[in-house]
Amino acid sequence: MAKTEEYKMFQGCTIGNRIPFLEASARKVFDKLGIKTSEAPFACCPDPVGFNSTDHLSWLAMGARNLTIAEDEGKDIISLCNGCFQTLKLVNKELIHDEHEKEKINAILKTIGREFKGTINVKHFVEVLYDIGADKIKENVVKELAGLKVACHTGCHYNRPSEIVQTDDPMKPIKLRGVVKATGAVPVDYEEEMLCCGAGVGNTEEEPAMQILNNKITSAMNAGAEAFIVNCPACFQQFDTNQKKAEKIAGKNFGIPVLYVTELLALAFGEKPDDLGLKFHRVRLSALLEKHGLS
Amino acid sequence: MVVVDYELRKKVMDAHIHDALKYCYQCARCTDVCPVAKVTDQRYNPRPVIMNSFLGLNTFMGEKDNFSLWGCTICDTCDEVCPQKIELTEIFTVLKNMSIARGEGPDYYTTQASTIYDTGKAIPMQPAIERRRKDLGLPVIEPPDADEVKKLLNETKLNKILKK
Ligand code: SF4
Ligand code: SF4
Repeated sequence: MAKTEEYKMFQGCTIGNRIPFLEASARKVFDKLGIKTSEAPFACCPDPVGFNSTDHLSWLAMGARNLTIAEDEGKDIISLCNGCFQTLKLVNKELIHDEHEKEKINAILKTIGREFKGTINVKHFVEVLYDIGADKIKENVVKELAGLKVACHTGCHYNRPSEIVQTDDPMKPIKLRGVVKATGAVPVDYEEEMLCCGAGVGNTEEEPAMQILNNKITSAMNAGAEAFIVNCPACFQQFDTNQKKAEKIAGKNFGIPVLYVTELLALAFGEKPDDLGLKFHRVRLSALLEKHGLS
Repeated sequence: MVVVDYELRKKVMDAHIHDALKYCYQCARCTDVCPVAKVTDQRYNPRPVIMNSFLGLNTFMGEKDNFSLWGCTICDTCDEVCPQKIELTEIFTVLKNMSIARGEGPDYYTTQASTIYDTGKAIPMQPAIERRRKDLGLPVIEPPDADEVKKLLNETKLNKILKK
């Protein structure tokens, strides 16, 4: 496996081409913590929910093609998105451990002059932040977020299937919480912490998706959370962009802000809300920022 | 009359986890943890999907957007809790691929696949986002080699599935 001094950045379609402000916070935090990244012309990961459900073979082949781009440079991939992470991690593992499958995919890749070798690793950015350690994060904190109560939501594809992905503890993930705690913020315990954001079924029918979201938000707010902390752009959009729809089903206003974990870190590191593009969030953050002296 | 769908049975039996399926003892742990089963009164329910696919009973196809198949939100929680270590979502993927190849399944899936086939990305870059990236001080995203992606996806026959 490659020992990476510098990662290939895999921001994915959703962050890169739709909500790039999440990437802005990630880059600022990476800079401060000394995490080096560089670009590559990656295609769609592709989506483990949509594209894999459409055609598994095409999903494997495209995932493998992306991996070969990083292999060419001998650099590990850092993913900003659960979906991209899960796809690339699963494809990488499957092809490394299944010689027959690897031969089949390599026969396909040969038509475009590529070959999967299995020489690099794929990392979720939360793993990388956690491995850097709470001390290093604390060194950079200039505005301690003490007293800010948050609901951590790692999302499903961050660590499932856990036997294969092995990012974190399967039923009690600790890494996102660890990173959050280093800022002084307090993760609350809430019953539905492991519940999905509901995005997947929303591609088929909206109502069940919104009911799941409603259960999730209600559980977090009942536990006293003032904000959600997420590490996946699909979850982010579900909590932030779709919160209004869930409010309709619930028949009440939630108004609970959603922060990408790197936005939380960047605020603690003293970055200005404007430089992070926080104005692009649907659920307003101003009251929260004011209350905790961050505006 | 109940008939066995031989194509479905063959596809399921060809899947590398087919051996595990016969150890499903219908305990319904998967149903207990399924967030969609919970909010839909089990209109979607993973347990019978496993049973019927093992038996070759195709109760999932023949209509578009069949909720008993496409209701899954792909959270992979059932995989985590199944006492028999059955990777349920792998079977769901086999079934969904079959459903799409028959021209069924929610439009979302084929629309997304079609965009990926044409551009290499699920969400193509827009000028407004390019400007926003610049304002946020972010680097330009190097576009993928769309021709190469298309060639690859012709090789996997996605073009046939999408009727391109
Ligand atoms: S949890 Fe596993 S063994 Fe139990 S019904 Fe579901 S698939 Fe079968
Ligand atoms: S992966 Fe699908 S079937 Fe399994 S628990 Fe999640 S929604 Fe239910």
